[in-house]
Amino acid sequence: MSAIIEVNQLTKRFSRLTAVNNVSFSVNKGEIVGFLGPNGAGKSTTMRILCGYLSADRGTVKVTGHDLMTESLEARNNIGYLPENCPLYKDMRVDEYLNYRARLKGLRGVRLKERVKAVKTQCNVDDVGRRIIGQLSKGYRQRVGLADALVHEPDLLILDEPTQGLDPHQIRQVRDMISQLSKKHTVLLSTHILSEVEMICKKVIIIHEGKIIADESLNDVQNKLCGRPQIIAEIKGAPVKKIVSDIKQLKGVGRVNAAVRYGWVRVSVTEKEENPDLREDLFNLVRSKPEWRMRLLQPHRQSLEEVFMQLTSKEAGAILE
Amino acid sequence: MQAYLLSPMAYIVMAIFLVLMGLSFSIVVQQLVRGAPGNDVVQALFASPFFWMALLITVPIITMRLFAEEKRSGTIETLMTAPITPGQLVLAKFFGALTFYILLWLPTLSYVLIINHFTADGRLVDPGILAGAYLGVLVIGATFIAAGLFFSSFSENQIVSAMATFATIAAFMLAGFLPWMADSPLLQDFTRTFSGYLHMNDFSRGSVHTQYLVFYISTCALILFATTKFLERGKWQ
Repeated sequence: MSAIIEVNQLTKRFSRLTAVNNVSFSVNKGEIVGFLGPNGAGKSTTMRILCGYLSADRGTVKVTGHDLMTESLEARNNIGYLPENCPLYKDMRVDEYLNYRARLKGLRGVRLKERVKAVKTQCNVDDVGRRIIGQLSKGYRQRVGLADALVHEPDLLILDEPTQGLDPHQIRQVRDMISQLSKKHTVLLSTHILSEVEMICKKVIIIHEGKIIADESLNDVQNKLCGRPQIIAEIKGAPVKKIVSDIKQLKGVGRVNAAVRYGWVRVSVTEKEENPDLREDLFNLVRSKPEWRMRLLQPHRQSLEEVFMQLTSKEAGAILE
Repeated sequence: MQAYLLSPMAYIVMAIFLVLMGLSFSIVVQQLVRGAPGNDVVQALFASPFFWMALLITVPIITMRLFAEEKRSGTIETLMTAPITPGQLVLAKFFGALTFYILLWLPTLSYVLIINHFTADGRLVDPGILAGAYLGVLVIGATFIAAGLFFSSFSENQIVSAMATFATIAAFMLAGFLPWMADSPLLQDFTRTFSGYLHMNDFSRGSVHTQYLVFYISTCALILFATTKFLERGKWQ
């Protein structure tokens, strides 16, 4: 698979601040990659460099094989960019705007008409063609911006926080649209909504203070960094130590943490690989003891959010091996 | 260009401009009534303080939003990431503004038509002289617009850009009087090269010096070039 984006030792400084610090990653054709990081981590800066709006101080960036320093125009022909806050010309009508942007990107005549019509349908802005952009709601404006990014059929889509400021309906629509788009385009989107990444992306790049701290497929992140799955149970009927030691007797039990709350012992049992689902065993264990009672039995996996918080806290270095 | 015609600003500018030129025109008519020779008309219209005042006020207003608005609203990002070169962008904005400027001046042709209509032989003003005057209007205006475009790319605040442009044009205007204040012939010669007032005087008398034309066209090109390079600075640090 050929790499659509190749970034090598990219560094960008603004006066004293190093916004992007020796960043290297690549994105292959057809992937949907989530670019994840807290505000100020360097996501937008990296994206702007990828799109040719800023230049790097050091390092190389290649998009669809074109180096952004030397072949900027060719590279930009293949990129559809939607900046943060989706800037648009508020006094233009949707049709006018899309026609203007299509012309800017080199489309003409029949092809222009076809493409504008196609992206309007694709992004669900068919019915607002004659409306003035300033009068549209944020959801519609975002979709117009997306239509603009798509109009020249780019191989790569770069979306900076595409769901920012949208209400839940609109967020869902945009997410569905992005999932659809990934069939024909490679997508790099940035966000700090972790559940979004879990929902749409196959690959995750986590950036923090200008450095990449994770660059894996979503599965790998979940397995490696989210830790092994756990079972949470609430049991009563025996002293804590006895409950814990009995649980430990079960096959495939790793760590057991226990705490007493309102008379119930809340245990979190980490599964080892041999026994992927301890729930039945735990249930049988409680059933076998006449005085024991159980009121909660559920699987638990450390969410991406918890991992993210850990990774991007001050002690990030310690967590990573 | 379309964006200009859509905004109320365009019509305000046109109104101010036409008021000023109209005043100029009415003075000219009064002069004619008193028996001034015909070809003085052009000079009175174009080399008058009204002309310079009109330029001073309208050019900053036309140019202030060209880049400043794009930067403020963030659309500069979508512009600069589209597959066009900064040079193309600058030229496009320049010609858009210039076209509006030309549109602004078109109604003034009616002044000449009116004068011609009311005179005995119907041909009071020599078309050659008129052409010379309008040529001066075009090249001087183009240079000022380039300057306005340049200052617009500096700031996100339109007012700041407008003020900088205004100050520059005013400085140039005032420098136009230097030849009359110069002591030595050498200084006089030197200050003639960039005295807009002198240039316009000559243009409106029908003597189109290529020297002046080159001055304006090359200055205009230089400013546009500088604007392009300034825009590119984010890319070639």
